[in-house]
Amino acid sequence: MTAATGMPLVAAAGPIGGLSYNTLVVLAGVATVGFAAGVAGTLALLRRRPLVGDAAAHATLLGVGAAFLLTGRRDLPTLLAGALVAAVAALVVLVFLRRIVRTRDDAATAIVIGVSFGAGLALLAGITARGLPGGAGLEQFLLGHTAALTAQDALLLAAASCATVTLVAVAFKELVLVAFDAPFAAAIGRPVGLIDTALVALVAVMVVVGLPAAGAVLVTALVVIPPVAARQWTTRAGRMLLLAGLFGLAAAVAGVLASTLRPGLATGPLVVLAAAAICFVSFAVAPERGWIWRRSRLRGGEASP
Amino acid sequence: MTATAPILELHDVTVAYGRRPVLWNVDLAITEPCLFGVIGPNGAGKSTLLKAALGLVPVVGGYVRFFGAPLARVRGRVGYVPQRETVDWDFPVSVMDVVLMGTYGRLGWLRRPGARERELARHCLDRVGLVGLADRQIGRLSGGQQQRVFLARALAQQADVYLLDEPLAGVDVRSQEQIFEVLAAVRDEGKLVVVVHHDLRTAAEWFDRVALIDMRLVATGPTAEVLTPDNLRRTYSGRVELLEELGRAVAERGRTP
Ligand SMILES: Nc1ncnc2c1ncn2[C@@H]1O[C@H](COP(=O)(O)OP(=O)(O)OP(=O)(O)O)[C@@H](O)[C@H]1O
Ligand SMILES: [Mg+2]
Repeated sequence: MTAATGMPLVAAAGPIGGLSYNTLVVLAGVATVGFAAGVAGTLALLRRRPLVGDAAAHATLLGVGAAFLLTGRRDLPTLLAGALVAAVAALVVLVFLRRIVRTRDDAATAIVIGVSFGAGLALLAGITARGLPGGAGLEQFLLGHTAALTAQDALLLAAASCATVTLVAVAFKELVLVAFDAPFAAAIGRPVGLIDTALVALVAVMVVVGLPAAGAVLVTALVVIPPVAARQWTTRAGRMLLLAGLFGLAAAVAGVLASTLRPGLATGPLVVLAAAAICFVSFAVAPERGWIWRRSRLRGGEASP
Repeated sequence: MTATAPILELHDVTVAYGRRPVLWNVDLAITEPCLFGVIGPNGAGKSTLLKAALGLVPVVGGYVRFFGAPLARVRGRVGYVPQRETVDWDFPVSVMDVVLMGTYGRLGWLRRPGARERELARHCLDRVGLVGLADRQIGRLSGGQQQRVFLARALAQQADVYLLDEPLAGVDVRSQEQIFEVLAAVRDEGKLVVVVHHDLRTAAEWFDRVALIDMRLVATGPTAEVLTPDNLRRTYSGRVELLEELGRAVAERGRTP
């Protein structure tokens, strides 16, 4: 795996804190990705569709493999374009199963995840077994591996993330309206189906963009965990959005930094562990909703009826 | 819009979910501003009737007109209060945020509510007696207060027709009075207020006109003429316990001034 990667980041001595220019750019790019994933995830959670990203994410592997086989190239834009096509295809199949075949929501999601992920793994295994030139290293998309990213890759990821955040910021009022009360939104003439589709598309884009940092298996966590943690701290959607972004950013940066400690370390698990730590702290100590607060309130409340 | 067009007209409306029709051939025209009750048993299709009028469920036969025009042309004049259970009350928005949503129809997609909208929202909250709770998260309200927030949001739509789905469900007697008084005041401003309602006693007391519904229109007209034992028996066929309530409803109506 290491043989095929670009420049070894840890070894390169850099100007700031021993980090190279490339590492810093990658770090900044991944920070943007984390922020945007938290932002898009907040809306998905508020619309009560936290798992749409999961089906899309597991399908990306198939897209990465197919893009490599079809084009023979393994630069990030090509592979991610393949991943995006696969993610969208998975979501279309999901809608088909739910609407036309009338499968239950969770069953449909499980089917799409299982089938697309299995096919993706098989495809990558086939590519590796045949020893196709450049095929090695594709499995980095399984668990995420930022060490292989170039500064240019990072800029691409950052640009897509900024676009996502901008779209959410512009449409925030409408997205919250639909998430809170879709029948009312429809009654005042909003195209609820279209807005939902746009939201799912944004999540699909963020899942693809988060792929290098977190990998197909874990990238959903980057979309789901920061908003859940943020919800603990606030009762306002706007603040939740900002907090989820910051939590996602912190988790992504922490995970990437930790992964530079040893060469060959997958980034995804570290990013998710960092996010989980933030979430755990939020569950424990957040005012009003945290369990420490609730316990102390219970005890204090015993005196008065 | 012609001078004679009814405020709300349903012409031979049939609605189906999938292939199963749940409302058959409803013909209903409301020509005068009034407090209009839609009454019927559970599953009678009352919510469906409102949703069909608002275009939220497709009408498979017949048509709906507001002021003689299809809804798309007069959307700004129609306000809506969905059934309370349709939303997640743990949602992270404040009372003020929710009432401001009533102004979104006018604001369009990109403009955000400003000082004028906040002023309007505050006024609407005042009308339903909740102005002190503007900053509270909506989950920390009682059921009756939540209903009044929804009512305030509809008022902020500044509509000419209001369609309300069970705004009095799960509300205690005092809040009921309060909500009915607001609705009557809206009617007195010359607006049509259509209310899906369950309780026959309060229905007889407050509504000017009613429609009895049980998958089809059983009867409609002035409340006193429609809420007859015969009509109620036809609407609530087989539901014996309701006949008792019916007796009370008729007695109550005799006492109201
Ligand atoms: N989305 C839906 N899909 C399929 N059937 C539905 C749907 N919504 C309602 N129905 C069915 O349509 C019928 C009418 O439902 P509706 O909600 O309009 O009744 P209602 O009179 O409002 O009842 P309630 O008093 O319980 O609110 C019921 O038999 C219900 O099962
Ligand atoms: Mg109903």
